[in-house]
Amino acid sequence: MSAVLHAHPESGPALGVANTGKARRVLSDAGMRGRWWRFALILAITAIVLIPIMVTVILALTPAPNSTTTGLTLENITGVFSKTLAGVWLQNSLITTLSTVVVSVAVAAPAGYVLSRGRSKAVSGYSLLLFVMQSLPIITSVVPLFILFAAMGLVDNLMGLTIIYVGSTMTVATWMMAAYFDSIPISLEEASWIDGCSVFGSFTKVVLRNSLPGVLSTAIFAFLLAWNDYLVAIVFLRSNEIFTLPMGVQSFFQQNLTDWSGVMALAVIMMLPPIIVFAALNKYFSVGGIGGSLAGR
Amino acid sequence: MSSTTAPSGLARARKGLAPGGSGGGARNRKSKLSAQTSRTFFWLLLPSVILLVLIHGYPLFQAGVQATHDGNLIQTGDFVGIENFQQVLASPAFWKAAQFTLLFTIVGVFGSWAVGLGLALLLRTKIPAGGTFKVLLLLPWVVPIVVSSTAWNWLVATPDSLIPSIFRNLGLGTPLFLADPTLAAVTVMIFKVWVSFPFMMMMTSAALASVDSTVYEAANMDGASRFQQFTQITLPLIARSTYISWILMTIFCVNDFPTIYLLTGGGPVDATTSLVVLAYRTVFQDFATGPGVAIAFLMTITLVIVSVILYRQIRKSSVE
Repeated sequence: MSAVLHAHPESGPALGVANTGKARRVLSDAGMRGRWWRFALILAITAIVLIPIMVTVILALTPAPNSTTTGLTLENITGVFSKTLAGVWLQNSLITTLSTVVVSVAVAAPAGYVLSRGRSKAVSGYSLLLFVMQSLPIITSVVPLFILFAAMGLVDNLMGLTIIYVGSTMTVATWMMAAYFDSIPISLEEASWIDGCSVFGSFTKVVLRNSLPGVLSTAIFAFLLAWNDYLVAIVFLRSNEIFTLPMGVQSFFQQNLTDWSGVMALAVIMMLPPIIVFAALNKYFSVGGIGGSLAGR
Repeated sequence: MSSTTAPSGLARARKGLAPGGSGGGARNRKSKLSAQTSRTFFWLLLPSVILLVLIHGYPLFQAGVQATHDGNLIQTGDFVGIENFQQVLASPAFWKAAQFTLLFTIVGVFGSWAVGLGLALLLRTKIPAGGTFKVLLLLPWVVPIVVSSTAWNWLVATPDSLIPSIFRNLGLGTPLFLADPTLAAVTVMIFKVWVSFPFMMMMTSAALASVDSTVYEAANMDGASRFQQFTQITLPLIARSTYISWILMTIFCVNDFPTIYLLTGGGPVDATTSLVVLAYRTVFQDFATGPGVAIAFLMTITLVIVSVILYRQIRKSSVE
């Protein structure tokens, strides 16, 4: 566009109005062409990028090699529910993920508030500690936690899994909440203090009530992390009926011949909840918040 | 205290009522408030601290104990000092994994950044249905790794998979994407870039959105070329956000387990074994808890040092 604008400097101001109209038309033609060219480019890129996901969906809906059905079918999906413990795995995944989301927001929101409003050395020290902890490999804590949880009967147990997920989401979740609280003017709380509200009261009644986008953003983050985890699940889960979906999907590969129709059907079931959550709440989720919270403190 | 004239009484009343005013009553309330504030802050922070100690602090301490002891997952054996660390540092497998982790991280960070930046720039221009593409392109990051690795496996794993077949039909031979050591390493890195670029795209888009567009109008007037505008205006303006996204992605890549493990399992012949995969296999497949935790502990020490330095850098850059 800029090239077009600068293409006729010699035409000068003397030629006046008529020429300006012409230049503008040239500009918009080029602009339109550019738009469709970019559209074609991004369409091609998106199509290539999404091949693995499209393959998953197509295979899940295509009849299995030994099936008599033709055309697209849902029989793989119904089949995976009747032939495997998919229903139980889905339920287990939902229970752990939703508990993680709730507890993690409940822990991160108050801590984030302190990080946002506190100005003492201890508070900034805690902020640094959170940053260091989240950068450590989870495998370091997994082994000692495995031993501890084994003694407490929390291995092969959904509650044990949830505790670890809450622990590993809370660091980033706390920052995300803190970053959001930073954007709420402190004058709102000051006004409520004048009205005789306690600090805790103003946090719950004034700050939290105005923080729905921040809470949702944090919740989505915790949801994705807990739903997608594989490392903690593979270490802590042992029995088929306690498996979460990632373990369920992987269990298909332990057989000699992989049932691709079945595994893809389960894969589609597993990817739907995060896609739905993301599609519905996309506008609340700003990954910039993660970075912003880091830079802001 | 004594008789006050009407105007000064009014003034005092006004002061007292003013939010955050400096009247005597307000000051009193403020100090009461700050004592109350510290108490409340303590209680608000407490659950977070307890979890941090339980899930991060205690295991880290225990990891230190295990790394310096003999033993297995059931019980800790004798104290062996730094023997485990010596054993790990002397093993070629450790250095090979460290090398792969480094390469994987460099390619993962800059590969996903380059793709994410390119797409963010493209999506910032006017494109029909641009918003839809923006959401669709986030899918690789939103879809669980367990699912996408399954799809990638189906696409490339055996000589008869879709992509090797296409290569064969084009007369390019039959590449063994996951069986050839070099090609497997390349495939894992491409997979990592595929998974991570949407994150970089989101970070960059957010940063680009905050750049004031009048800057470009001024540059246009001065006759700066598109490329000059990009290198001399866009990049410096989003530098801090870029820096933060590199740091976060470095941490994600170094600590990554599922992307590698689910696609190749660390093979063929350990060609794609990263430090985390090596630590996992040492503990849970070779049952050598001490050396395995020692590997994780060496990573931990490195990352603590690196992250403290980076944290300071970020804070410094945000103050400037």
